[in-house]
Amino acid sequence: MLKLNRRKALGLALAAPAILRTTNAFAAKELRVMAWQGYADDDWVKEFQDQTGATANVVFIGTDDEIWAKMKGSEGKDFDVFAVNTAQLQRYIDGGLTTPHDVSKIPNQKAVLPRFQDLSKVKGVMRDGKVHAIPFCFDSIGIIYDKDKVNPAPDSFESFWDPKYKGKILAYDNGEHNFSFTALTLGIEDPFHLTPEQMAKIKEKLIALKGNVLSFYTTPDEALQLYKSNDIALIWANYGQQQVKAMKDAGANIAYVNPKEGALAWLDTWAMTSGVQDQDLAAAWVNFLLQKKIGEQLSLRTGFGNTVVETGSAGANDKLVWLDFVEDATKRSDMWNEIKAQP
Amino acid sequence: MLFIGASRKSLWPRLLAGVSYGVPLLFIVLPLASFLAYGFFHLENGNVNYTPSLGNYIRFFTDAIFIPVLWQTSLLCFAVAALTILFGYPVAFLLANLKGRRRHILLLLVLVPLLMSYIIKIYAIRSILGGNGLLNRFLLWIGLIDQPLTLFVFNLNAVLLTLTVLLIPFAILPIFLSLERIPRSLIDASTDLGASGMQTFRHIVLPLSLPGIVSAATFVFVLAIGDFLTPQMVGGQSGFTFGRIIYSQFGTAFNWPFGAALSTILGIIVIAVIMVGNRLEHRHT
Repeated sequence: MLKLNRRKALGLALAAPAILRTTNAFAAKELRVMAWQGYADDDWVKEFQDQTGATANVVFIGTDDEIWAKMKGSEGKDFDVFAVNTAQLQRYIDGGLTTPHDVSKIPNQKAVLPRFQDLSKVKGVMRDGKVHAIPFCFDSIGIIYDKDKVNPAPDSFESFWDPKYKGKILAYDNGEHNFSFTALTLGIEDPFHLTPEQMAKIKEKLIALKGNVLSFYTTPDEALQLYKSNDIALIWANYGQQQVKAMKDAGANIAYVNPKEGALAWLDTWAMTSGVQDQDLAAAWVNFLLQKKIGEQLSLRTGFGNTVVETGSAGANDKLVWLDFVEDATKRSDMWNEIKAQP
Repeated sequence: MLFIGASRKSLWPRLLAGVSYGVPLLFIVLPLASFLAYGFFHLENGNVNYTPSLGNYIRFFTDAIFIPVLWQTSLLCFAVAALTILFGYPVAFLLANLKGRRRHILLLLVLVPLLMSYIIKIYAIRSILGGNGLLNRFLLWIGLIDQPLTLFVFNLNAVLLTLTVLLIPFAILPIFLSLERIPRSLIDASTDLGASGMQTFRHIVLPLSLPGIVSAATFVFVLAIGDFLTPQMVGGQSGFTFGRIIYSQFGTAFNWPFGAALSTILGIIVIAVIMVGNRLEHRHT
């Protein structure tokens, strides 16, 4: 099966440039791309250039703030397309730094996973009926569990409060996320905009969580080491599939599940800048990256979920709650300190 | 000619003095001053408001969590200082009494851990302390216990133990130096006058090594109280210290002004401890 796929893909890859070069519409044009590492690998860029005849210049960025600085600094004129998560995207739309997509120019968007089919149901990518960004890459923050110690598989965040697992749980050291996921556990509809009463309730719940966990970790590596030298049953997997892969590579008998309350998840998208020079070329880039082959490679190489092929990040029926800015990050951090300072 | 020579002579020292004052000024005094200044600003809707106020300091004294955590952290660091002296003193004593190559080798062994990265040491200690870490497995294997101990697993005891192990060289060295400075003739005189080994130790050696003990305690306390990584990594859910509160202001809350104010408070405590230590040392010399 794999062999056939590979041969097919190889054949296509060899044939496509020859076919397309004759009719290529973008000769001598330039596409300026701003992307995260792993979203525009060299082999993809080369193939895209061969197919379109255009030159793609990719600038890799390391932080959300760097994207903002580069975009704001040039008022969007230095780039044509950029990768951005749905939470961050909002300030670009607010600032008029994006150009809406014409989805009809991105035919591959029709073949994406059901979750991403109806863009009006993907929170954050549309505004005023216009599509400002196309989903590309995501990961969820679910539960990693030890298959030897947790049976049957957990299906709810409530497992973290189960006295059965006292001292066998690793949670993440971050107030913002912990308030959000506890809000989901308590059945609160919008975990990113909490009222003071809701926050007080969550604080109580988190103090109870503290009594049940062994430690709060900060890096995936730290969690792995804690797992190895302790009796750990459940981990709140802030680093999602990356963490799953690292643990499996280390020989851990674990599995990953998104709980029924819904898992927090981030979603990166491709948006066109306000200074886009050739909208058709930018659309061709996004369309190119939405191929099944690219999606598979993306997930294989980065461990993240893609929008075209199912991966371990989320099953078809899993509920995902796309991350958003919270009402007051400083307040959450202060309350998290208060929780940790509880004797 | 004479003039040129003279001006050349006076230029170099000035340049050197400029560099030797300028570098510490640029890299130590200015950052500290900016911390001090930042402590008087405050955060408003996620942005720093540069109108000076005492708000951060008022919050420190009125909020229910900061003073208790600072107090517990100070007690913890005091305990660390006491433990490092308790365990470091015999080593320093042995060092001071050894001669020649043996002394050099032991001194080297004491100093080798300082060459290792701090993080690697914490990681190593973590794999020793964990629930099925080296220590528990060993105790189970020799049959001393039949269930893994939780005494040293990710709690304040673990922080205490780890900090003690990490900082013990800083206690051994000053004590060793002060022991080495005790004139041999005093000990000989004490022995000649019929004092037992214990009496000589209690009345001659111990009092004369007190300055070393005091500077050891100061070193260890100051290093321990500024540490935020050890409590984070071995403290589990109960190892919350003042250093971690400061860290969270910069790392997750993005409340730099408040973090700067808390750092200033920590700085004042550190300076006070050093001054008290200094005074005690001089009283004993």
